[in-house]
Formats: sequence, C-alpha cells, structure tokens
Amino acid sequence: MSAHDLPTPGTARAPGPEPGAASRSGSATAPAAGTAGPVASVRGLSVSLQRQGVRSPVLRGVDLDIAPGEIVGLVGESGSGKSVLAMTMLGLLPRSARPVITGSVHAAGTDMLHGTPAQLRAVRRSRLGVIFQDPMTSLNPTMRIGRQITEVTGDSGEAVTLLGAVRVPEPARRMRAFPHELSGGLRQRVMAAIALTGRPRLIVADEPTTALDVTVQAQLLALLADLRREFGCSVLFITHDLAVAAQITDRIAVLYQGRVAEIGPSAQLLHHPTHPYTAGLLGSRLSLSTPRTGALPTLPADGVPVAERLRGCAYHTRCPLVLDRCASQQPPATPVEGTGVLRACWRDSTAVRDIHRAVVPAEGLAAHAGPLGAVHPSPGGSGKPAADLAVEVRALGCRFHSRSGFEPRHTVDALQGVDLDVRAGEALSIVGESGSGKSTLLRVIAGLTRPTAGTVVLRGTAQMVFQDAGSSLTPWLTVGALLRERLRAAKVPPAEAARRTEEVLAAMGLPASVLKVRPGELSGGQRQRVALARAVVVPPTVLLCDEPTSALDASLAASVLNLIREMRRELAMTVVFVTHDLAVARLMGDRIAVMAQGRLVEQGDAHDIVTAPADPRTRALLDAVPRIDVPAARPATGPADRPEAAR
Amino acid sequence: MIRFVLWRTGAAAVLLVVLSALVFVLQQISPGDPARAYVGGNASPAAVAAAHHRLGLDRPWPQRYVRYLWHALHGDLGISLRTHRPVTTDLGQFLPATAELVLFSFVLALLLALLFALSGALRWPGTGLYRGVLLLAGTAPAFLLGLGGIVLFYGHLHWLPEAGRGVDTSSPTGFVLLDSLLHGDTGAFTDGLRHLLLPGLALAVAPAISIGRILRAGLERTFGADYVRTARSKGIREVQVLWRHVVRNSLDATLSMAGLQLGFMFAGVVIVENVFTWPGIGYYLAQSIPQSDFPAIAGVTLLLGGVYIVVNAVVDVLQAVADPRLTV
Repeated sequence: MSAHDLPTPGTARAPGPEPGAASRSGSATAPAAGTAGPVASVRGLSVSLQRQGVRSPVLRGVDLDIAPGEIVGLVGESGSGKSVLAMTMLGLLPRSARPVITGSVHAAGTDMLHGTPAQLRAVRRSRLGVIFQDPMTSLNPTMRIGRQITEVTGDSGEAVTLLGAVRVPEPARRMRAFPHELSGGLRQRVMAAIALTGRPRLIVADEPTTALDVTVQAQLLALLADLRREFGCSVLFITHDLAVAAQITDRIAVLYQGRVAEIGPSAQLLHHPTHPYTAGLLGSRLSLSTPRTGALPTLPADGVPVAERLRGCAYHTRCPLVLDRCASQQPPATPVEGTGVLRACWRDSTAVRDIHRAVVPAEGLAAHAGPLGAVHPSPGGSGKPAADLAVEVRALGCRFHSRSGFEPRHTVDALQGVDLDVRAGEALSIVGESGSGKSTLLRVIAGLTRPTAGTVVLRGTAQMVFQDAGSSLTPWLTVGALLRERLRAAKVPPAEAARRTEEVLAAMGLPASVLKVRPGELSGGQRQRVALARAVVVPPTVLLCDEPTSALDASLAASVLNLIREMRRELAMTVVFVTHDLAVARLMGDRIAVMAQGRLVEQGDAHDIVTAPADPRTRALLDAVPRIDVPAARPATGPADRPEAAR
Repeated sequence: MIRFVLWRTGAAAVLLVVLSALVFVLQQISPGDPARAYVGGNASPAAVAAAHHRLGLDRPWPQRYVRYLWHALHGDLGISLRTHRPVTTDLGQFLPATAELVLFSFVLALLLALLFALSGALRWPGTGLYRGVLLLAGTAPAFLLGLGGIVLFYGHLHWLPEAGRGVDTSSPTGFVLLDSLLHGDTGAFTDGLRHLLLPGLALAVAPAISIGRILRAGLERTFGADYVRTARSKGIREVQVLWRHVVRNSLDATLSMAGLQLGFMFAGVVIVENVFTWPGIGYYLAQSIPQSDFPAIAGVTLLLGGVYIVVNAVVDVLQAVADPRLTV
C-alpha cells in the first residue's frame, strides 16, 4: 500500500498562533505571527518505513507550521509517528529504514527533503538544535562535555556561557567533566546547551523529560520556557503526556496513527477538546484528582489489524462516538469557528465536548478519599503484633563504595536508618526523586541487594516487577517458557501449569497466542503485562513493583495499574509500589512513604500525604506533578482558560 | 588516570615475579641434571661436582631462587648449557629477528582486521560465504598456513623465497628492514620484505580474523548508538562522526583482543620460525629443548611471558585512555 493514497487537501493549513486570542496567555513571549514566515513548515507529509522487511505507513499526510518563538507541542501515544516527524524535519531518518517520503518539509528556510547532504548539515549545524529523550545514552561517553558542546563552533567561551544559561552550576569546571560524572538532569541540560550552540531558530525536543523524574522534569520545562524567552527560538516539544505539554506550549498538535487529529491553542485544546481521541487522552490521564476507587479510566485497547484501521478515520476502532462513515472515509481537517482549532473528525465538536465532560473529573484535589482494597485493617496505630506485618524494616542502612585503584574514592549512603512496616494485605507506595533510595529500599526488601546495616524481615514469598520490562524478560525464551519456568520452580504439575498460564494471560488481557512469542516481538505495554503475569503466575505474598509504568503511555500505564490493583484484590497480596509520581502513588497505595536522600522523611495515609503534606520535600514533589489546570511555567491565566476547572 | 597507570604497572610487576617463580619451579622439577648436561656425558664425577658448585646447585632452593631473581634483575639469566654463552647474549642475538617478524605481522594483522571489519559490515550477496571462508582460515593453524604458503608461492609460483631472513642478516640493530631503510639500501629492503611476507602472513591471518570480527561487532553496535544520532544532529561531517564518535567507542573490546592476540603471536612465532627456519627466539628455543638447556628455555619463557604481561598492561592503559569510565 502506498503511503500517499490519503493526502490531506492542501488547503487544510494549520493557522498560526493568534496573539490577541483570549485563550492565549503570556503574550510577552507571543510570536509575531504576521511579521515573519514560519520557522518550520510541513505540508502533506507522508513517510513510510521498512521494519524487518515490512513496509508500513508512519505519517499519512501531516501539515504543521511553527512560528518564530513559538512552542508547539506534539502529543500522541507511542507509535503515533511523532519521533518520525521530528527526525524527518531534521533530515535524520535512518537510511536503514528505507524511508519513502512525499510532501514537503522546510525548516529554517531549507528544504529538508530535497536538500543536498551538505545543505542539511549546514542547517542542522547553525539553525536547528535537538534534545533527545535519554540523556544517559545521547551523549558520547568518551568525550568531555565541553568538547561535545564546542564540537561545531569551537568556541569554548560560548560553551561556558551556554552551560550557565542552562543553569549548570560551575559551568567552567564542568566543561572538563565526562557525561558519566553528571546526573541525568544535568546531562539533559548539557543536551540543551548543545542544542543551543549557534543560536538555533528551532529546537526539536523529543520527549526530553520522559527519562527524568517529576522534579527534574519541572525544572527542565521551566528552563525551556526561559530559553525561548532569552534566545527567541521556536521549540517543537514532543511528549506523550498532555499535562507536560500544557506546562509550556502555545499550541498543541495531537497526532494519531500518523495524522493530526487535532491542532490548536493549548488552553483551548486541553479544556475544550474537539476530537474524541484528545478527550480520551485527557480522560485516561492519571492526576491527583483521579478517583481512587474503581477502575482507572483507560482508552479501549486496539486489537484491529492495521490495514482495516487505516481505511477510514484511524481512531474509529476505539472511538466511543463512531459513525458508519468513520470506517470508510477519512475526515478532512476542518477549522472550528472562532477557536483557532483544526480538527479531523466527522462528529460535531459539541458531541465530543459532552463525552469529555462525562469522563474528566474536575481538576484540583478531589474528595475521592478512602482506602483502595478491603482486605486490610484501617491504617494508623503502632504496637501491632509483629505477625500482622508482611514486611518489617528496622534501622536499615545501605552504603555503596565506588572504588578506584587502591582506595575507595567515595561512599554513598543509599539508605540511612530506614524503619518501615507493611501490613499483610496492605498496599504501600514509596515516592521520591531519583537517587532518593526508593529503588534500593525495594531491592533490599526483595533480597537483591545486601544491606550494610539493620534488618529486613519479609514474611512469605516476594516477586518483583521492574521498570524496564524489555530488559527484565529473557529475550530468547518464549512467553510460555518464561511462565513455565516459574511454575516448574514451584513444582506445579504440567497439566495444572498449562491451565494456570492460560488463566493468568487471560487475566492480563493477553491472547493465548502470546505464549509462543518472544518478548522482543511484543509492544512495551504487552511486555509489562507479561512481566506482571510472570510475577503472579505463582501468587506471591508480597508483590514489589519498581516504577512498572513509567516507560508506558498514559493509557497503557493506567491499564497496567488496574491489573496490579485487580491482582492484589484477587490474590490478597501485599503490594509495595515504588514511583516518582505522587499521582500514581496516591492511586496505588493505601499509605505513602516519602523518601529523600536515603531517608524516610514522611509516611502516612495516602490521602493525607497528598492533601496535607507535612514535609517540605513532599510538598516539592507535589508541586512538581504536572497539572493541566495550573500552567506553572506561564504567568496568570485568563478566565477563558479554565471554565472546566470551575465546573 | 596517573593512579590507574601506577596501579596497573604495579600489578604487572607482581605478575612478572610470579612468572619468574613459576619458571624457577619448572626448572627445579624437570628431570635431568643441568650440571651433567653442562660438562658433558663423559665428565668425571669430580668435574660434575665442581660444575654443581659452580652453577650454585648445591645450595638450598630458596637461596637459589633469590639468587636467580637477583641475577635476572641484573640481566643475568645464567649460562646456556648448549652454547656455553650467557643466555642474555643469545637472546640479544635472536630477539631482533623475532621482534621484527612479530611486529611486521602484527601491523599486517591490524590492517587485515580493519579490512575484514569493513568488508564484513557491508551487505552484499555472498557475505555469508565470505565470512565462512574467513572463519575457516582463522581456525587453520599457523604452520599449516605457512606450509601451504611455501608450497604455493615458492614451490609453484616462485614468487617468494622459501625460508630464512635473506642474504645479509648481520645488520647493526638486527632489524633488517629498519637498517636497510636507514642506509637507503632498497635492494636489501625488498629482499628483507620478501622474506618477511610469508611467515608474517602465516602468523597474521588468525589474529586478523579474530580482531576483525570484534571490531566489526563494535562498529555495528556503536553505529546505532544514541550519541551517534546526537553527533549527526549537530550537522558535522560523516567522517567526523565516524572518527570522533564511532571509532573511539568501538575500540574497547578490539583493544583487548589485539593485546591478547599480540601475546599469542609471540607464542605462535615459535612454530612459524621453525617452519621458515627464521633465526629468532623460537628457533633458538626449538634447538634448546632437545638438549635440556634449562637456562635457555627458562630465559625464553621469561622473556615471552614478560612481553605478554607488558603488552596487556599497555592495552589496559590504552583502554582507559579510550574510555574514561574505566578508571572511575
């Protein structure tokens, strides 16, 4: 199938931002849309890529303009084509994927599709900057960061200035540091400094905060907004989280299956979505006000073959408002009167507004308090008999040495004097920034790391679910073999084992055909379900989860969290859930324990911690949770900005 | 970094002492009386006893070891029982030929490895067959390659000489290529090169294939790395991307492999030298073994072992230079 059979009409042009519109704010930074042409413009872009011998359309007719000084958010689930769009705009699509491209892409005055390699290099060198997702792997490990920044310009004075501009402390000294000597947040700042060399007109930021914890994410978002103000550059900000986009973007484009579902001013789009997919994304976002009881809202899963899905509107197989024509005819992009929004949907925009209202609860701290499960006794009170406790941690310390040659260079106290009880059947969330020791604590409880002080008592059996399901599953074993391995270790007879594997897969919402498949062939969400299936196929007494959903899209994350909650109810497990996101912690734990710098700084009932935090570090974590109704990086919002919150 | 170098040097020194102890023990437990071998089969018991005393064999073994170590440190590895000359003098005479062969062969191996790595990374029909042939050649023992080379290039084609180093081997430094170059003697240079080519190739093929495979794997892995994409996003030229970002990050395993192979080549040279009657250490060793010339055997072992240890220490330091994370 050709990737070009469904082009959008050339007239469907995304409007530039409207500085005067009531829905926009922070007009001091507003781009003067009328005075200059767009920094980047994408017209009717279709891209198909070849993966493992199969060619599939990734972008199917995308139009996008970025005005000077504008921050445009590109939002969508993984697989929606947002990174491919970014790489196409930079002329960086890997040749090994055999891209077939139609349409046009201009960035900073250069034709990125037909320019010579030298022209593309020149524009990347001086006019475009990029910030990639993973600061751990995106910097050359064997090159000093100073050299990586000055590689293009050779100007070390500029490099020091830029490091200062991205708020790297002691910039002159850091020039000689290697990437491994810096934290993740600092490395991402270095990436930003590299992107800023040569004063680019456009910075493409491809999920720049996804690998960072909430606190560092908030800092980086504020930094990007500042840089736009100081340097006047435009930003294409790619993210899968609408709330993150809400923090800094002027406009948002929602991408679904390689097409723009909806594009418009951020506030307008977030509060009055006109596409069912946008409404669905907003509804499945986990926030501090998501009801704690009942299942978490998710988008329906998509089990329909790609070819059928792409015949009409790509969303028709998941859409709650689907019409007959949606399955056969692709909706064109049409403007919504008086809003600056372009949408591609056959339904009337008011219909979408109705489902949005039905799904999305009012933002702000809702009163959905109350415990999650019914298995455990009410929280609070000390002096419980020890037999009641599933996990008992006393005066736990864990010290790491980093050695060099003869003597230890320095020691890190990952845990210091931690006391923690988890009652049988209880769900406890442990929250903290990266480096706070929360994962170490979990590993010590699981017996994977040996503590240097104190004791841990774990009554019963424990199983662990890791953050990166991709690397925690043995790549050469089939899913069936992975599950049978656990059952064999528990001496379950083969006939019984076959029944159990089928049951557990059904419980995870996975088809039985998955049994014969290896982890590499599964999607991220499916892999995390398999990891969970492996953990509970022989039901443990205690389930230990280490950020199992932080690498997943919002909707997928919600469905995995739902599974964990269901499993807990059905198997009466104790759950210890580590996360950096207080919104998730609140949903997964009866109680929350907050960690900072290896110590337990606060613990208590989940609702109390979130509504009335006692410790400043808890408050900092709470403030860092991105919220749609509070655009932190922007000044005061107009009344038109939040009618939804007033409801 | 400096501390790492010091630490690695210290470790190498300890290894050398351990090696010398091993060599000494081997000497002690080997059958045969060195004193008798020294004076000859027909000597009187008194002469044997005198030789015993002269060689220090009548003292207790710890004392003998300390003496051995002390002398070795001062460049005295004893007297060869066969040539009746100091082993150090013998080694000094035979070492340059071996060093020339191994170094020539190592450079050849590195060049071939680069060629194999780059050609193996390309995708063209028949890549599988090509790799198979290379793998087969890599597993062939050096003496087989040497003999095959002699049969083909000397026996049938008459392109290359059969054996030896050439006409004039009495060059001042012992390095024929170096001397002829310094004297501008192109005739001697070509002759030396022609003699080096077959033994050099025989010795180089297997290491080249091992190093090439590792290098290819390293390059392929690094090409897909995120920081290579970052480098491309900066708009620098592909040559710079390759040189600054890809090559250096592909070197770690390749350096280890090259170091290991250089060590193995010093061991493999013993056989190749005998196939080509190359007047080097290996040839000397092969003549010393049938005569139970223990000081000579021990000297060669110590020398080759020492080279092996030093080479690996240097490789470790080079790796640390290439990848700063290793010294942390």
